[in-house]
Amino acid sequence: MVQEAKLSHTAALILHAINAGFVYGFSIMEMTGLPSGTVYPAMRRLERDELIRSQWEKQSIADAEQRPARKYYRLTAAGKATLDASRRRYPLLERLIPSEEVKQI
Amino acid sequence: MKPLGGWICLKMEGGILRCASLWAPGLQRAEWLREWRAELWHAREATQIDAECTWKTEAEMLRFCVGAVQDAVTLRKLSWEKKEAHAAFHGSAAECLLLLCFFFATSYFLSHALPGVRAESHPALYRVNPNLIMIQNAFASDDSLATIPVEKYRRWKSWQQRYFDGFAFYRIARENAAAGVSGTYRWRVAHASLNLFWLLGLPVRFSQVAGDAEGRTPGAIVSDAVWQKNFGGDPHIAGRMVRIGRDEVQVIGVAPAGSWRLPGNVDAWLLEPDSANRGVGYVIAHLTALGASAMVSQRVQISVSNPAEGDEELCGVSFAARTKGPWGFYQFTILLALLALPAITSVSLGETNFCSYKPSWSSRFGRWMFLAAKIGLLLPSVYFASLDIAYWHTTTYSIRAQYIQLIASFTMALFGLRWVLFDQRNRCPVCLRRVTHPARVGLAGRTFLAWNGTELICADGHTLLHVPALPTSWFETQRWLYLDTSWKFLFANSSTG
Repeated sequence: MVQEAKLSHTAALILHAINAGFVYGFSIMEMTGLPSGTVYPAMRRLERDELIRSQWEKQSIADAEQRPARKYYRLTAAGKATLDASRRRYPLLERLIPSEEVKQI
Repeated sequence: MKPLGGWICLKMEGGILRCASLWAPGLQRAEWLREWRAELWHAREATQIDAECTWKTEAEMLRFCVGAVQDAVTLRKLSWEKKEAHAAFHGSAAECLLLLCFFFATSYFLSHALPGVRAESHPALYRVNPNLIMIQNAFASDDSLATIPVEKYRRWKSWQQRYFDGFAFYRIARENAAAGVSGTYRWRVAHASLNLFWLLGLPVRFSQVAGDAEGRTPGAIVSDAVWQKNFGGDPHIAGRMVRIGRDEVQVIGVAPAGSWRLPGNVDAWLLEPDSANRGVGYVIAHLTALGASAMVSQRVQISVSNPAEGDEELCGVSFAARTKGPWGFYQFTILLALLALPAITSVSLGETNFCSYKPSWSSRFGRWMFLAAKIGLLLPSVYFASLDIAYWHTTTYSIRAQYIQLIASFTMALFGLRWVLFDQRNRCPVCLRRVTHPARVGLAGRTFLAWNGTELICADGHTLLHVPALPTSWFETQRWLYLDTSWKFLFANSSTG
């Protein structure tokens, strides 16, 4: 697949992080250790390629917790397939990111 | 860190985000800024929990915000990529078919929304009995003129007939009408034989007349327009008494809108015995099998021998033309448009090329399929669009609407087909994109010494089209030049086709 061949290490890392439950920009930054100037543009490209999809958190939830609403990201079906392929290409990525319960949006 | 320093950093971070947002595409800017502000809030929260609030943490926050600039630039680049994709779509075969689909869908759904089109397309309106003709004087210039005196009709009816087994008569006159307390009106009344509706096979709404009494019951049938306007659409109209002229008659029912296709606009039909009728009117006759076999192209010549007045020449015109409906008119206009097409454009598809190179079978098949798809989408669109135009302002059948449909359908079919051929000639045979960048080549004054015309090129670099300004014996029609792979480097976005 073309998308599998083009997926960079950074993009694969971000996909792993989202799959592991780090579903918003800053949490992905914290988990991967990548700077904001790398993480957010990479997420824009992943969204353009329809590997991830974004969705705003409900305002009522954010209001209840007295914080601004977050934009959450989740993998699409194509994203999951690409992630599986990237596991074969970057086998060590699995060890870098611990899995976490996916937060309910 | 001092509160003033923190305040300054906060403002700086806000300023960076605000400035960076200017790079983000306009439509996405507000959402982008909202996301980054939310992220900054969470980043700040996390940093203050993890560490003491120092210059170091503020510098970290500033670095975080600088990343927003890169993000905004990326977003802008992605939007440019989208525009390039749009530019690639522009002029493509897919764009052309999509536009035609849009035209078709719009005209189709509009036609289903317009009450006039819905009423006109109802098949019940054209269900008249077969083998019916209208008998007229053979020398009448117009088939809408009343030419038969009622006395002649009575005489024919009384004779033994081999060619006809049913006759009906009607004449139209303006009469005063009064319906109870609702007021007095001026109606166009058709004084008709008792069997007129029965002979024609026209439906009558709200009729309570028993089947065996059909064609024998005197009374009045009102048009749908009169029923709506003067009777307020009363569903219990059957049995009501109305005064038409000097006679008090009972209303039998309502003729559905658009069902009356015979000459004359009528508000009400007064069904009465033939002995009560007078004047000049129209005669409807039903042909026997023998009579039907004498019909030639929807017409039949009739000679009536009358020892007292001499022979009379009459003409019988079939109802088929009158009850054609919109589909019949549409077919007629398409035929006319196909006949007229060569007069306004060349019907050639401009397939000639400079060399012996032949495009692949799949390319040629694709080109023909594309042409068929265009025509296949255009023609139904013309049908529905012509109906939309004709019945935009009217809700029932009218001669005016039929004329508008005829003209609209013919015009759209003619110029639509012209466009289809023109478009086909200007599409690259390899990728079906429209050729672009026209360039004038040669001098008009040297037409007969050298080539003079326009050159257009396929944006994907497959072909070059040469169109002569003046057709000459050595360069009559447009020609394609297929570009080989040595041209590829000129076209950055060329595909393999």
